[in-house]
Amino acid sequence: MEFEFLINDVLQKISLEKKDNHYFFSDDKKTYRADIQYVSPNQISILVEQRSYLVHFAQDRDNRYFCIGGQQFVVTEPSEEGGESIRRGEERTPEGTLLVKAPMPGKVIKINVAEQETVRKNQTLAIVEAMKMENEIKASIDGTIKMIHVTEGDLVDSENPMIELEPAS
Amino acid sequence: MMVKRKLKTQMFKKILIANRGEIAVRIIKGCKEMGISTVAVYSEVDRRSLHVQIADEAVCIGPPPAVESYLDMDRIIDAAKQIGAEAIHPGYGFLAENAEFARRCEKEKVVFIGPNSHALELVGDKVRSRQTLEKAGIPIIPGMKAIVREISAFKKEARKIGYPVMIKASAGGGGKGMRVVYNENDLTPALEAGMREAKSAFGDESVYLEKYIEEPRHVEFQVLADNHGNVVHLFERECSIQRRHQKIVEETPSQALDPELRSRMGETARRVMRVSGYNNAGTVEFLLDKDKNFYFLEVNARLQVEHPVTELTTGVDLVHQQILIASGEKLRFSQDELVQKGHAIECRIYAEDPHNNFLPSSGKVLYLKEPRGPGVRHDCGIYSGSEVPIFYDPILAKLIVWAENRDMACQRIINALDDYVILGIQTTITFLRDVIDDPRFRKGETTTSFIPNYFGDWTGDKASEEKHQVALLAAAFDSFQASHSGTGMKAEKKQVYSPWHSLGRWRLGGK
Repeated sequence: MEFEFLINDVLQKISLEKKDNHYFFSDDKKTYRADIQYVSPNQISILVEQRSYLVHFAQDRDNRYFCIGGQQFVVTEPSEEGGESIRRGEERTPEGTLLVKAPMPGKVIKINVAEQETVRKNQTLAIVEAMKMENEIKASIDGTIKMIHVTEGDLVDSENPMIELEPAS
Repeated sequence: MMVKRKLKTQMFKKILIANRGEIAVRIIKGCKEMGISTVAVYSEVDRRSLHVQIADEAVCIGPPPAVESYLDMDRIIDAAKQIGAEAIHPGYGFLAENAEFARRCEKEKVVFIGPNSHALELVGDKVRSRQTLEKAGIPIIPGMKAIVREISAFKKEARKIGYPVMIKASAGGGGKGMRVVYNENDLTPALEAGMREAKSAFGDESVYLEKYIEEPRHVEFQVLADNHGNVVHLFERECSIQRRHQKIVEETPSQALDPELRSRMGETARRVMRVSGYNNAGTVEFLLDKDKNFYFLEVNARLQVEHPVTELTTGVDLVHQQILIASGEKLRFSQDELVQKGHAIECRIYAEDPHNNFLPSSGKVLYLKEPRGPGVRHDCGIYSGSEVPIFYDPILAKLIVWAENRDMACQRIINALDDYVILGIQTTITFLRDVIDDPRFRKGETTTSFIPNYFGDWTGDKASEEKHQVALLAAAFDSFQASHSGTGMKAEKKQVYSPWHSLGRWRLGGK
């Protein structure tokens, strides 16, 4: 079976076959034999050529998380479009308007701009506080503020746009 | 002024812990060891938090924002009186260094497990305490000697001190509200941000300026003072490894001290506490410059986050001592009886994404595997399935190790960090591992500029090819199982674990 995953945002392919009680996987050069077993609901034990790996894993709605020797890997299915990954905290409408989102859930403590205001790249648009640290939300491009969806004191998530920014023509 | 308490002491039967997270858990455990019943308080968002689960009793004190719950003195004192707690342990942060709260407790006849309100007021007012201590001959960093409010007054003071200057919250610690300013143009925005942060963290927006000493070491001394005038220090902790003025790695002993300097700084720390009329546990912070001059920085009038490294090297339980002192007992050891043994290092585990500019990372902890082994201690406020809310400090847990010497302690904590798994939210574990593993850290070349100098552009993309390959393999295996055994991983898990399995095989979806 062929699998394609985005591992920490890098597209990776692997083929895996099961014969008897072993799994065979291959890269371009070689085929390896592996003994792979679930040892608990969150742990997979892997033996490859006598090397032993304990993989811890868990999943939520969007991602699977794997941890090997202290290194964490976030695994997602590649998107249908073949996946140019969007910069965190931003998205564009089909018309090209930039939807500025909070990079993490938090509370809006200051909005530094008004609608119709022109802004420069790297100008601070708003300040969002989470876990007692302030984080400045900056404009990633020159443009004009088209709409502001939040007011000071609002709780925001990282999915809904806070501010719509029209790129400078 | 020392608050007089009856000499005949009686141990508390019930203590309310006015905090959350790992420190509430640690204090509750300390109380239980002494046979004292415990009361947790919690905000609505913390109903399922660990400290609520392990306490004997629990009281909801309000909505999630700290000002309406963990900072609400009325609700906390009411809760203590209503449930019959004789004492309140404030932990660190929140109301721990709030003199008004200590005074309210004194008035309401609930014992505040911390310093008396007069001492708290003095050391909590960083400006006034600097004046008092300077008069007593304690070495001080040049800085403001009075409170001002207007930006113009700050500008004048900054010119007098000379740039670079450091903005600090009058009421605070823990890096909140702190900013370094290199020139006058940056002063106004930095002051505004510092005041806002101070206000939200401590409920008081006062800030002050002092001279910024470049590349010092941060060395602090743990002190215990009973209500009878006995004061001892429990040696130093070096906390030079800081990000955004927030300590992230602490250790003891410091590589920079020899016995003579250690004793001189320790005696200075004891004198600071005597001059301040201080009682209970506290920490005297110093900056140590390249020429081994030390300057008094401030008193942290609370149990510190990093207290475990002292506990592991001295064998003294600081929470027990706090409770004994608050109940009126005399210290049971003298300065001469205290010795340091071996080496201890602590790493603070924050819910921050080191790969993404250390943005706070809230959400559900899908899975936690705690590191274990000889000499490994894990003070932890989370569990598999717990939620990390956006409202509070991002500290999740602390990993602390003890070993016979520093090299072994470094290796031990690296192994423990490798063995430590938190899935679902981002944490600083891999960043900390790289810090400890850095040859300059291993040699003890630690200053407060260590992180900005050497780890400012850390990307952490050192995931080995091998581990990447293993992750790919594990993901493929998991997907393979999902597509081959009907419900996949879940079905196989049921086969291994479900007690229902013995009742016969059953399939979800019934295909």
